[in-house]
Amino acid sequence: MSRFMFLQHGDCQGQTKSTPEQQAEGMKAWQAWMEDGKKEGWLLDPGSPLGSEAAIVRPDLSVTDGPLVEAKEVVGGYTIVEAENIDAACELAKRTMKLAGSGRIEVREFACFGEEE
Amino acid sequence: MSDRKSETDSDLEFDSQPAELVENFFRHESARMVATLTRTFGVHRMQLIEDCIQTALVEAMRSWRHGVPKNPAGWVHRVAKNRVLDALRRDATHQKALAFAHLDQQSTDRMVDESFEESQIEDSLLRMIFVCCHPLLDPGSQVAITLKTLCGFSIDEIASGLLLPSETVKKRVQRARKKLAEADISTDLPRDDELHSRVSAVHNVLYLMFNEGYSASGGESVVRDDICEEATRLCYLLCHSPFARPDSKALLALHVFHAARLGGRMDDSGSSVLLEDQDRSLWDQRLIAIAKHWLQLSRTNTPSRFHFEAAIAQEHCVAESFDATDWTVIVRCYDRLIDLYDSPVYRLNRAIAIAHNGQPQQALEQLLSLKSGGQLESYQLLDCVLGRINEMCGNIDVAIQHYESFLASSIAPHQRRLVEARLASFDRR
Amino acid sequence: MARYMFLYRESPEQLQHQPSPEEMQQVMQLWTNWMQQGAQAGWLIDGGDALKPESRSVDASLEVSDTATIEAKEVVGGYSLIEAASLEEAIEIAKGSPMPHSGGSVEVRLVGH
Repeated sequence: MSRFMFLQHGDCQGQTKSTPEQQAEGMKAWQAWMEDGKKEGWLLDPGSPLGSEAAIVRPDLSVTDGPLVEAKEVVGGYTIVEAENIDAACELAKRTMKLAGSGRIEVREFACFGEEE
Repeated sequence: MSDRKSETDSDLEFDSQPAELVENFFRHESARMVATLTRTFGVHRMQLIEDCIQTALVEAMRSWRHGVPKNPAGWVHRVAKNRVLDALRRDATHQKALAFAHLDQQSTDRMVDESFEESQIEDSLLRMIFVCCHPLLDPGSQVAITLKTLCGFSIDEIASGLLLPSETVKKRVQRARKKLAEADISTDLPRDDELHSRVSAVHNVLYLMFNEGYSASGGESVVRDDICEEATRLCYLLCHSPFARPDSKALLALHVFHAARLGGRMDDSGSSVLLEDQDRSLWDQRLIAIAKHWLQLSRTNTPSRFHFEAAIAQEHCVAESFDATDWTVIVRCYDRLIDLYDSPVYRLNRAIAIAHNGQPQQALEQLLSLKSGGQLESYQLLDCVLGRINEMCGNIDVAIQHYESFLASSIAPHQRRLVEARLASFDRR
Repeated sequence: MARYMFLYRESPEQLQHQPSPEEMQQVMQLWTNWMQQGAQAGWLIDGGDALKPESRSVDASLEVSDTATIEAKEVVGGYSLIEAASLEEAIEIAKGSPMPHSGGSVEVRLVGH
């Protein structure tokens, strides 16, 4: 088994859904996702959204801070899962994406922990 | 988030203080892996193996920013093995060979794991020394490929260490690799009938490596000290193998005597210090003792040039001061050296010893005849030596002329500073 | 105190660069020193990990693709978690990391909202 990180690009938290009912429904769906993930054993860390308080330190030590203009390169949140291989991890990402509804999930394998490579 | 921390701690494999890598880890592991994998998969795959190892080392570097694993060598061996096996899986010839030998991927996998065992690695390194110093290659290529594959230096580092253009070094390494691969040189240890010449070839390479590193060391490039260190390391490996001969041990003694004096060769401002002005308390007494021990072990009825060179180095190391140096012994050693292996550099050094032995006029005559024979044209330090000996003869004006023409040639900055200081001292007189 | 995630972004040039073993040793030493400094000063919560270069993306229509086809720019090469009193303080810590010195960027992100 290997560990993978999901990096959520763009708006993946479904925060744009406005009505309280929709929000409650969304919350419930995420709760179920989390419980299933823990039960089935693939969800190692539900992670966290990454707030708008952000900055990028560049090689010349210049800093772009505040809400980042190039929203495309900003990561909105992360999750850590365990899967047999990257294909299986992508299947889990699809399950997560169904809830997020928009944006994109980048799937990346951890380097250090992959004992059997 | 809070339980995530405890989860990762055990896996990260480092305690509160992140582990540190040993010195030269990447360089030495690179060499060990090239030797091991080349022995397993053949010299004709050396290029592929080196590429895979480079990839594995870069992966290690990227991962270990976040923490060095408990067994870094094991980590990088595993990754390198997988890279090589992946590459070979795509190689039809290799697959055919496997089938022919009734081997499958798993048995290859096991074979590699066994080859990475500590005792096997030493043996593989020794085999690789013989491959890199193979008589098929010219000495320049032998040195270049030894530095590349057995010491893990980059092309640029070798170039700066040997004072050669990078392009030249690159060509030498490529040509050497190609020649070895085409001849599909075996990694088997030399047979009895070729043993003598093969060991001598290794000696020559180690001697050249050390001299190249030493003569340029202390300059702007740190690599040069490392080259000396590597030559000594490989010589040590040879001396601990069943192939060690008395002259192998004398060569090791010579390396270690020189290494002991590295500390006194430079002053704080980075300029060379003449042997006579060196602070002998900076010489490493522990290394001197080790070198003496190896010179003892090297005793034989048929001493080699390494024996006499080591004996000369020993005389310098044990003398209390420059004035207390036994120059008679040193001159005698040079006589024996010249009987054994006549070279203009030995003759030049003998002349210097004769000068210090109270006969500067005789030394000067010998030097001038060497110079007029045209044998020392490529020897950069000649003017410097002539300057010094003329000084000893009292010919200050001639000495100044030689020092000035030395400064006019292209020389290393640390040598320039030394000679400039020498010239300035005349002004003050 | 707040938690920040550092996402180390590596440029394509940086990824293509083939360092010599000696250079690797030096880079490693810088990282080890920096992480040790963080552990001692207390701002380092988790050294994190590197992420392998292979990257896939799942989009809203549940299509899986190679991320390189979407953005060939910088890739996230790894992350760490740190603790700081403010974004400014976190930025200062990021500036001290070896990443910018080897040609990469550090994205500093508040964990949570």
